[in-house]
Amino acid sequence: MKKVLLVIVLMSIMVISFSAKLVIKGSNTIFPIAQLWIEELKKEKPDLEITLEGAGSSTGIAALFNGTTDIANASRFLKEKEIKKMNEEGKYFAPIVIAYDGIAIIVNPKLGINDISLETLKGIYTGKLRTWNQVSPNLPKKRIVIYSRNTASGTFETFEKKVLKEARMAPTVKMVESTQFEIDQVARNPYAIAYVGVGYVNNSVKVLKVEGVEPTKLNVLKATYPISRPLYMFIDVSNGWPETGIIKEYITFGLSKKGQELAEKAGYIAAYGF
Amino acid sequence: MREFKNKINSLIIKSVALTGIIALILIFGFVIRESIPALKEAGMEIFTSFDWYPTYDPPSFGILTMLINSILLTIFSSLIVLPLGYIVAFFMYDYAKNFEKRMIKGAIDLLSGVPSVIIGMFLIIYVSPWMLEIGAWSPENILLASIGLTILSLPYTASLMEEAMSSIDKSLKEGALALGTTRFTAGFKVVSKAALPGIFNAIILTINRIIGETMVVLMAAGGANMLPLSILDPIRPLTAAIASEMGEVEIGSIHYSALFVSGLVLLTISFILTLTSKRLSRRWSK
Repeated sequence: MKKVLLVIVLMSIMVISFSAKLVIKGSNTIFPIAQLWIEELKKEKPDLEITLEGAGSSTGIAALFNGTTDIANASRFLKEKEIKKMNEEGKYFAPIVIAYDGIAIIVNPKLGINDISLETLKGIYTGKLRTWNQVSPNLPKKRIVIYSRNTASGTFETFEKKVLKEARMAPTVKMVESTQFEIDQVARNPYAIAYVGVGYVNNSVKVLKVEGVEPTKLNVLKATYPISRPLYMFIDVSNGWPETGIIKEYITFGLSKKGQELAEKAGYIAAYGF
Repeated sequence: MREFKNKINSLIIKSVALTGIIALILIFGFVIRESIPALKEAGMEIFTSFDWYPTYDPPSFGILTMLINSILLTIFSSLIVLPLGYIVAFFMYDYAKNFEKRMIKGAIDLLSGVPSVIIGMFLIIYVSPWMLEIGAWSPENILLASIGLTILSLPYTASLMEEAMSSIDKSLKEGALALGTTRFTAGFKVVSKAALPGIFNAIILTINRIIGETMVVLMAAGGANMLPLSILDPIRPLTAAIASEMGEVEIGSIHYSALFVSGLVLLTISFILTLTSKRLSRRWSK
């Protein structure tokens, strides 16, 4: 019994001390892409050690600052204060665009609405428009049930910047943790509205046109769809670009044809080529 | 040799007990240390402001709405759980036959083993559509969360209260019956009164449990940071806010620290509740 215990302890020490050659942290949005990339990379090189953690864009970038990650996935660009901090510490983080994402506005298929303007959307999320008939007179006089991702998510930050434009979300907005939950609730409740990454949308909900533009691949890539955003990977290049090694290998794979196909498979829009 | 063994045993027991105390002190210390940046930066605004906009520019870190929500939800759920729990306990103590008692006990034990996330899922999938039918605008709301909290804490409350009543000397009840009281009066007026410290303890522990419960309120309470006007409005208690945002918050930021302040508030509330319960039951038992 003691021997078994000893072996287990030794093995766990070995696992801890030899793993984690490449550490990736950050955005939940990018998590599915990174996961597919790692799976594919591991097929070719089974001895590759990569740990992936999806905790939020800000967490990833903070980890890049204190050196606990090699790559920070972020569904937004660096904030002003992050750039300032970078300059103060004499660091340089290189952004790499890995895919594009559009934020789709979803409602229940039963609701008779197909198009929404940014102004209306802002009105709904800031609490100025409380019932559906205020949005359009032919809609039922029912209270709008508004869903949003919680404040730390990159999707929230993009939505806040592009739709709310600094205005505060109404306290009646229901903050939830997962995109899937938003979709399920919208599919169940005829008067609900939510915003989700286009990759997550399925047939149970209706995607609205925003300002008359559908969130199609081409529209997101050309940014004619108003709520779209690039997804980034940040690496610390204070000591130069990684010309060899596992970080370089990972980036090269991600930007390759295969890597971009996988980004599309995860539900996003490839960053390169139409 | 026996002496030596005794010493070893008592040493082990003492050290384990001490670990518990040290852990408690460390938890308090840790939470306080992590709260300090927010308390310094935002000051009293945290406790007096209704606005929780931690990621906006400029940010505001008011937890008052969430604190009020926590308290309202706890009061509302306690109003359901405590009487129900007492009735179940009373029935088990006084009226149930041996077989029925075993059945109820077994059911309670099973129910208390159900993970709260399962209860949350059940509420979301099966009960929340029904909320829309009774006229709620939001499928997740105070009522839904209260139902979950009731399912979750009823077994706990009932078994604690039953224990308190069972621990009362049988002769008290028999004496009351011998004096000609009815079965109900004997149980309700005599035994329950004698068991009051224990029952009170059960009440405090239940409230403590409800206010700290996280998963059910995260899933079923609705997540809106608003002051509710009816029990069909969605709310967001402190525990839900911590659970929801802690995972994605930037570690070391004021936002992170403000979440710890919320934790500190909860910890303080539960600490005070436990202290009162101890003090009151001590006074009664004298």
